[in-house]
Amino acid sequence: MGELIRLEGIVKSFDDTVVLNGIDLSVDENEFVTLLGPSGCGKTTTLRIIAGFEKPDQGRVYFEGKDITDMPANQRPVNTVFQNYALFPHMSVGENIAFSLRVKNRPEDEIKKKVANALKLVNLKGFENRRIDQLSGGQQQRIAMARAIVNEPRVLLLDEPLGALDLKLRQEMEYELVRLKKELGITFIYITHDQEEALTMSDKVVVMNEGYIQQEGTPQQIYDEPVNAFVADFIGDSNILSGQMVDEKVVRIDGVDYPCIDGREEGFPPRRRVDVVIRPEDIDIVPYGKGQWNGTIISKLFIGVHYEMLVQSEHGKVEWLLQNYDQHDVGEKIGMKVDPENIQIMHKPKSEAESAIELDL
Amino acid sequence: MKKTLGRIYILIIMLFLYLPILTLIVLSFNDVKSMSVWGGFSLHWYAELFQSRLMMGAIVNTFSIAILASLIATVVGTLAVLGMAAMKPRTQNVLLGFNNIPMLNADIVTGIALMLFFLMIGAPRGYMTILFSHATFCIPYVILSVRPRVNKNTDRLYEAALDLGASEKYAFCKIVLPELQPGIISGFLLSFTMSVDDFIITYFTRGAGINTISTLIYSEVKIGIRPSLFALSTIIFVVALVVLLIVNIRQDRADRLKEVKAAY
Repeated sequence: MGELIRLEGIVKSFDDTVVLNGIDLSVDENEFVTLLGPSGCGKTTTLRIIAGFEKPDQGRVYFEGKDITDMPANQRPVNTVFQNYALFPHMSVGENIAFSLRVKNRPEDEIKKKVANALKLVNLKGFENRRIDQLSGGQQQRIAMARAIVNEPRVLLLDEPLGALDLKLRQEMEYELVRLKKELGITFIYITHDQEEALTMSDKVVVMNEGYIQQEGTPQQIYDEPVNAFVADFIGDSNILSGQMVDEKVVRIDGVDYPCIDGREEGFPPRRRVDVVIRPEDIDIVPYGKGQWNGTIISKLFIGVHYEMLVQSEHGKVEWLLQNYDQHDVGEKIGMKVDPENIQIMHKPKSEAESAIELDL
Repeated sequence: MKKTLGRIYILIIMLFLYLPILTLIVLSFNDVKSMSVWGGFSLHWYAELFQSRLMMGAIVNTFSIAILASLIATVVGTLAVLGMAAMKPRTQNVLLGFNNIPMLNADIVTGIALMLFFLMIGAPRGYMTILFSHATFCIPYVILSVRPRVNKNTDRLYEAALDLGASEKYAFCKIVLPELQPGIISGFLLSFTMSVDDFIITYFTRGAGINTISTLIYSEVKIGIRPSLFALSTIIFVVALVVLLIVNIRQDRADRLKEVKAAY
């Protein structure tokens, strides 16, 4: 699995707004990479630069080591599934899928075979003669996929392809996408603002905000070891707290000292002020007084699989978010415990952009 | 009671709208040259119409100018819309404002202005000046009807075509043009109607010896209008009616077909 696409120092502004602030990204062959971030974080612009619809102000785009920054979109070996599908409304389903083959003047019988094949791949066999406006949203989504893959691109770019579908259909399509990727054996670059989609499908997640890449890694790494408060908050629910290292591998949060697994070696010497992330499902409920710290449950919500509770700490002003399978009543006094490896220590934000994010949280 | 009142109301509206035209049609079949006495049924005003070189000339002028002017306006207007789409939104708005002025402007002002312009550049007034004027006042209508078709959606479809490997020209012809087509067609039809309908601007920009239907009727009125002009008006009315009926019936059928297909 070699490197297929590389972005080097991509900078892009529209008018006076800087959208991308020097993006470096490497995508391997056959990898499922997800660019994840809130709207306006620059993920779509990054995708459009790879597709060739936008030219970066600075930086280069490489494909298999070859510089393709100046190559027009219609010559790049990538195809795109657009956010609102962009199916051609005056053409039948079959003609939509056949478009890229017609452009290349392929023989008629080959076109027919490939279109039928692509339709089979997306589970819409025999839909050739349907009109686009006769299709449901989910079907249109599949046709957009079929149209993009019929030409056997090396890379498929997907711009929030599931954004317009309802929850059930979306989850179904997530499985479909993973299956499709396996069958095709090509690279997927996927864009979404939905962290769940990103975590379920990807080999690699790239979290973006304000034109910067915040963190890239496997879904597990991103979830378990967020590098800053933005990533922690964006990926799943979390308790993000201000703390201070008081000793080697001991952090003080809210007046209580907790042992943790980060210390001098990881860049967190004693007295350093830090941000701490504790996932709500990592906090265990124990009888009052038997845990590391105590609190009172002030609210409870049944989420479906588990209960979500807010706990007011006895030691300071902190409200903790807890997720637990067991039911506890509002007003109950409980003790809480957390394992050292579930305490994620992060550096305080430094850059202006990052502090701006802090305010938003 | 309420129902009858409603029916009478509609009847009155219909009478107001169609009684004058009905009068015209009846008079076109009148054997004598009178607007008040019925002298029996006759087709001889129709015969006179088709024998009159003057009138046939006016008809040919009217429709050839309408078709040519609409064609020119459609091409120029559509290109203008495509050019504008590439501009900044603020520039587009300013240009659209300018586009609206000629439509709101009184015809008489446009007519006199065009006449003065032709006099100034020393253009001999005749067929070409009418054609030029008509094309000019039709362009804003084309721009107005094509522009709504050019939007984010068209941009995306164009990009999708490029993404699938199409050249820019291929993407434009196969994807963008079919998307604009309804706007282009309605722009053309609107221009055609405006051109056939126009009197004032034609009156000021024509030269001696050339007439369209409207200017011919106007000059006839001065010397006493001939019933063959009623015949001409009747024919135009009937043709318009038939075209409208055909368009409506076809639309109706297409809609029903769509419903059936959707249900299926």
